[in-house]
Amino acid sequence: MCAKVLVVDDSGTMRKIVIRALNAAGFGDTVEAGDGAEALTVFQSSQIGLVMTDWNMPNRSGIELTRDIRALGSKVPIFMITTEAEKARVVEAIQAGITDYLTKPFTQDDLKAKLEKYTKA
Amino acid sequence: MKVELLNPFLDATTSVFRTMLSCELSRGQPTLKRNHSPEYEVSGLIGLTGKCQGMVVISLGRDTAIKAAEILLDERPDSLNKDVIDAVGELANMIAGAAKAQLVQFELSVGLPSVICGKNHSIGFPSNSTPILLPFDSEIGPVCVEVGFAENVPEN
Repeated sequence: MCAKVLVVDDSGTMRKIVIRALNAAGFGDTVEAGDGAEALTVFQSSQIGLVMTDWNMPNRSGIELTRDIRALGSKVPIFMITTEAEKARVVEAIQAGITDYLTKPFTQDDLKAKLEKYTKA
Repeated sequence: MKVELLNPFLDATTSVFRTMLSCELSRGQPTLKRNHSPEYEVSGLIGLTGKCQGMVVISLGRDTAIKAAEILLDERPDSLNKDVIDAVGELANMIAGAAKAQLVQFELSVGLPSVICGKNHSIGFPSNSTPILLPFDSEIGPVCVEVGFAENVPEN
């Protein structure tokens, strides 16, 4: 299991949903951020083993955060959890450096399956 | 308003409630909306721009909003508080996003959600739009989704 999971979303509701799913999947050590700028600060000051981020946020988007993290030379897994579902957007996110993608709405089982794929990899 | 713009919002609302709230919605008859007052006292609204411009509003009663937040948060809010407001905003966000995915031809962008609470509030749709009211019923209470797009929608 990874050290710490950074959960990034401007919605506190969605952060709680994701953290609950992470806890259920055995990822008990989590830290939150409400936008991409805050997330980058947290990322740079903590040992983050996995990033779960929304796309559309004020004050730096999830795509920008992904590019920032990759520009630091980090290979940490980044999951995009977002309403953006069109193929072109998924391609854009992959090109930015995400590891996996989950579209909203999603069930806890959907997220758990993604996490299991990552932990078994 | 073209039906091709409407159906994705019907589908998206049903999908979001089923997936995130484990709640089945039963659809009522869509009607034209002829005033600025949402049906209920909590409104989550979100704008859409691109090849056409519009707005979607999810309207819930106070108790329904609290119940929806309780299901999402796995804890019951004790009032119509910031957690409930955030939850309604996220529902609006997911409905708009899921509908947008079925409207690729309009190259829509979804804005950030806003939530308005209070009886007798008004919401103005784009001036050259005729919003459609989509009523639903559910085990957590009635819900309305209002969708309005400006009338200069391009042929796709």
